[in-house]
Amino acid sequence: MRYLLISITVLLVGCASYPKKQKLTVLDTGKQALSIPYFSNPETDYVYKAGIDVFDNHFSGLLIVKKTDENTHRVVFTTEMGSKIFDFSFQGNLFTINYIQDDLNRKLLLKILEQDFRTLVCENPTIAKGYTLENNSVLEGNINGETHYFYLDGTGQLVKTVFPKKGKASITYSFSKINSDIAREIIINHQSFNLKIILKSI
Amino acid sequence: MNKLLYILFFSVLAVKAQTPLSSSEATALKKQVQEQAQKTQTMTVDFVQLKHMDFLSNDIETSGNLSFKKPNLVKWQYLKPFRYSVLFKDQTLYIDDDGKKSDVNLSSNKLFGQLNNLIVNSITGDLFQEQDFEITYFKVADGSEVVFIPKDSKLKKYLSQFHIFFSAQAYVSQVKLVEPSGDYTSILFSNRTVNKPIADAVFTH
Repeated sequence: MRYLLISITVLLVGCASYPKKQKLTVLDTGKQALSIPYFSNPETDYVYKAGIDVFDNHFSGLLIVKKTDENTHRVVFTTEMGSKIFDFSFQGNLFTINYIQDDLNRKLLLKILEQDFRTLVCENPTIAKGYTLENNSVLEGNINGETHYFYLDGTGQLVKTVFPKKGKASITYSFSKINSDIAREIIINHQSFNLKIILKSI
Repeated sequence: MNKLLYILFFSVLAVKAQTPLSSSEATALKKQVQEQAQKTQTMTVDFVQLKHMDFLSNDIETSGNLSFKKPNLVKWQYLKPFRYSVLFKDQTLYIDDDGKKSDVNLSSNKLFGQLNNLIVNSITGDLFQEQDFEITYFKVADGSEVVFIPKDSKLKKYLSQFHIFFSAQAYVSQVKLVEPSGDYTSILFSNRTVNKPIADAVFTH
């Protein structure tokens, strides 16, 4: 019986939601909205030097993001020497592959890339709830049907987005060195497997 | 009226700045370029690379220098706005991404190998393999432009055509790689030094 209780407790803790596990306190401030400015200016060419570490391999290139329309972002990855590796468009929920190199045209990889860059360029996620954690506020919202948590610092600036799985952070997007609505450094970290994308604005 | 026709005639000429070379002019250019290539044992040159994509407001500009040593050592070193270098050596591409080193085996990566050959040959200017490319020659201000259209269908997927601009002295002054989408990469060369010794360290990974 005792073992059963322990097992159930472990199971319950194991299944606890992300806010519970992270000890977030619900904030009752009514309906909240979030506007993420980092890729929102249609006048700006957002160009980043990108380093990708996957398991023990290192790849690099340039990530280029442009808001081409009210609801559309273009996301292109090239080598430093200029060859295009992939070229995607995100328009609302729509995802279009304009180009991808043959050897990278794999379903699983495309799914990861779509998720990562959709979250990155999303400007107005639908916010459902607000929480506090120490001095920061955390908003629970939705991007393309998936729950995400948005961590804001004391000034209301987005510093981290978390995509959870089984109550734990599965992917984190960290924004730092923020200047004039541009995050000069962005790190996308997949905790569930060894993949880290480091973007430095150039 | 005559004056108007005269102006129109010259405006048309000005717009159509690309005049095809005659076959004897093309042969002379090939000969001159190949002679230059044969004489070139080492070369260093500065470059500015412009990546043009139609949806961007501005081209992405990077710059650095390039070192070449016969027969086939090539190093591209990007200095601005980041430090990055690639060294083509012994069928391997050695990459140094601001201190993070990696390599790619070119013999197992046919496409990279093909691109490497293109790069080596376009720098030395020794690139007139009619069996691999459809080649057309034009006269432009201060030199010539040669347009290459790959025949290989795999290469064609990445590169619909590329252009090499030669100075009047038959040195490569610019390379333009055009993708099937129409976006392109232009590389402009300047400050060329030929046949001066280059330290071995440049070609060490």
